[in-house]
Amino acid sequence: MAFTINPLANPKGVKKLCELCQKPAQLKCTQCLVTFYCDPDHQLTDWISIHEKVCSLLISIHAPAPFGTLQSDQDHHHKERVKKQEYLIEIAHLEAQRWVSKKRFQDVLPAALLFLRWAMQVYGTCAVELVPAYLLLAQANIGLGSLSQAHEYLSKAEWTVMKTPGCSHTVLHQLHRTLGRLHAAMGKYTSALTHFANDVYYASEMFGLDSTVTSGGYFLMADVFLKQNKSDVALSLYAEVASSWHSHLCKLMDDVSRSGTQPEECFDEAQCVEADQMLRCLLEFEEQCVKPRPDQSVVLAHSLAMLWLLCNNYTKALEYGKKAEVLIQGLSEQNRLRESIHNLLQHAEKHLE
Amino acid sequence: MSSAVARGSRTPLLLPDIHNPQKHRTTSTSKSFREWMKENPIDPAEEKTQILTEHEIAQFRKPLRQNVCVVVLREGFHRSYAELFALLQRWKDAEEHPHKIQTIQHHLIRAETAERAGQYAEAYEDHLFLARFFTEPEDEWLKRHFFQLALHSARKFKMDSGKREAEANLYMGQVYLEKGQLEPAREHYEAFYHLTMGRAWQDTSGRMHHSRSCEELQRVYTLLAQTLLQDQHYADAIKMFNKAYEMAKESGDLGPEGEAAYRLGLAYQSAGDQKTAKQLFSVYIEISTTLENTDSLGRAYEAIAKSLESEGKLTEATEYLEKFAEISLNSKQDRNLEKASMCLGTTLNSRKQYDGACVHFERAYEIACNLASVPRLQKAQVCAGSARALGMMQTYHMIIENPGRQNIHKIISWKERREDNFSAATS
Repeated sequence: MAFTINPLANPKGVKKLCELCQKPAQLKCTQCLVTFYCDPDHQLTDWISIHEKVCSLLISIHAPAPFGTLQSDQDHHHKERVKKQEYLIEIAHLEAQRWVSKKRFQDVLPAALLFLRWAMQVYGTCAVELVPAYLLLAQANIGLGSLSQAHEYLSKAEWTVMKTPGCSHTVLHQLHRTLGRLHAAMGKYTSALTHFANDVYYASEMFGLDSTVTSGGYFLMADVFLKQNKSDVALSLYAEVASSWHSHLCKLMDDVSRSGTQPEECFDEAQCVEADQMLRCLLEFEEQCVKPRPDQSVVLAHSLAMLWLLCNNYTKALEYGKKAEVLIQGLSEQNRLRESIHNLLQHAEKHLE
Repeated sequence: MSSAVARGSRTPLLLPDIHNPQKHRTTSTSKSFREWMKENPIDPAEEKTQILTEHEIAQFRKPLRQNVCVVVLREGFHRSYAELFALLQRWKDAEEHPHKIQTIQHHLIRAETAERAGQYAEAYEDHLFLARFFTEPEDEWLKRHFFQLALHSARKFKMDSGKREAEANLYMGQVYLEKGQLEPAREHYEAFYHLTMGRAWQDTSGRMHHSRSCEELQRVYTLLAQTLLQDQHYADAIKMFNKAYEMAKESGDLGPEGEAAYRLGLAYQSAGDQKTAKQLFSVYIEISTTLENTDSLGRAYEAIAKSLESEGKLTEATEYLEKFAEISLNSKQDRNLEKASMCLGTTLNSRKQYDGACVHFERAYEIACNLASVPRLQKAQVCAGSARALGMMQTYHMIIENPGRQNIHKIISWKERREDNFSAATS
């Protein structure tokens, strides 16, 4: 898996550096031959995080241009190479996001760094395309507790955004969300709330007031309000989040049942994991509340069941569906919800047989 | 960004304006520095704090709508935020009215605070304030929106057994009526009616809510019926006029009751049911007599006469028309008198009593002259002329049919003189 190389044996002027820590490299990946590491630990970390997915792609990117051919052939080769690089960036982006959603922050770093490095090569050093990479790195660092590092990445992101006039609101919304997370982690609740408020504003402009993207901002705000001991505000925000997820999932379910097909990819893995975490968190909160709101719990359990059904996990769908059914017993008439829970249970059971 | 630029132009410039150097130079030469200082005093606090806070920077860098939204949301008022955001999406030139936006912001926050504490009555008051705050015609949609919100808050408030809900429905009905949207207006007024049924609620001027609801409903039903009548849906129009009449009766106010009866009567009349029409007109006569309203009494007589005429009872019709004329004469209502005279003339005309008709038309002509109303005057002129001509024709025929010596003489002398009083000479 790894060749040993001696830094002293490198040709003059060529320095092989570790992929992760930029120290002189001692090892080389046996498959792509273009990636170097200082020790086996770093190689393993990189392999788990991203290298496994991109190793073969790196070989083709590093393949030299055909020598002495026509100009048009060289142009073609160059174009192909850029296309491959963009693909590489996309893979690294998705992987990093996946690790963030799974909260495995240590694994985010190699993927996000690869993303950043290649994005710099393709788009230049202060392009707006780098912002998502900075944000992922910042989020990983917040998760790992190295806030100053996160702050540094975020400053770069902010500066890049500031230098890009007419920056898309999607980028702005993501920037403010990450800034809010940082400030919340630093205990600066007022400015965290301001950032989240901006985040929600941009998200509403891009995706609409009722979208689940916007409600993600509400969820984070509620967390801060809880820390400020304003639980009434947090409760009201949680209710808002629950209702927008519930209506979104109900709509997706309706579309699926109307078209009569298998649910297609409504969510990618990262989105599914994030939604699941958020909804479970809300449900746990409702169950531990001093004043329980059974209607809220039903809505949340139903949402979770629908989410898992749409992600084709019928066991979990059944589990939450049954929970919703038990919870709704305690409520007075709610015919529509009762009926859709019943349908969902039947659907899940049919698939499990 | 645009607002930051606009704001920048209002504040004193740090550097000379390179885009309009001419303008800047004139201001600096025409006014001395001392004068300029007097006009733009420097706030000592402002001078001290050179470093701006994040919030202050945002005030300049970001558009007003974003700042307003962020301030609301930062404090956790997410319902107000959603409300404000949706309004600003629809409101294209909102940036030009910062005062309006700030008022909305302030009261929405107050309303949400009250709502959170379960005090819906206060939330209702705030929404109502906002609705009344917008009086200009271009803000009509905002007014309606906030009345709608007030209605929602009122529905949640149960302690007053629906008084606020009723009032909010009244306001909604008024807004729709002003816009001429009769169907939604009717729905709200009907809700108002049902909510105030059997309650002794009054408004600030001491007026009973329920009688108000009857009156408003009567108005809406009447308007609806009139549109139906225009589209010649007689049966539906009569149904609607009937509802209006019922409402007028329930309101206990005689004036509107009479009017409603009159309108219902007219509807029956145009549908051809003269009997019912006459009954309703008699009700109108009764009420008008009680109220001593000669104007409406006259109209009632006229309407009855018309019904009788279409039944072919010309003598009775003439009687009623004479009553109409008499009343108009006594109450010195020239316009009505003119109308009565014209009607009488027409009736007599159709009974071939041209001489009598002519008298009435001439009276109508005189009154029209006094009123200086050219179209009426011309109409009376033509009618009088034709009645006289027809009268002469009648006499002429009579004479020609009995050609005696005396009669021939009469014709010859008339032909020589060509005078008007030919008919008079014969009789």
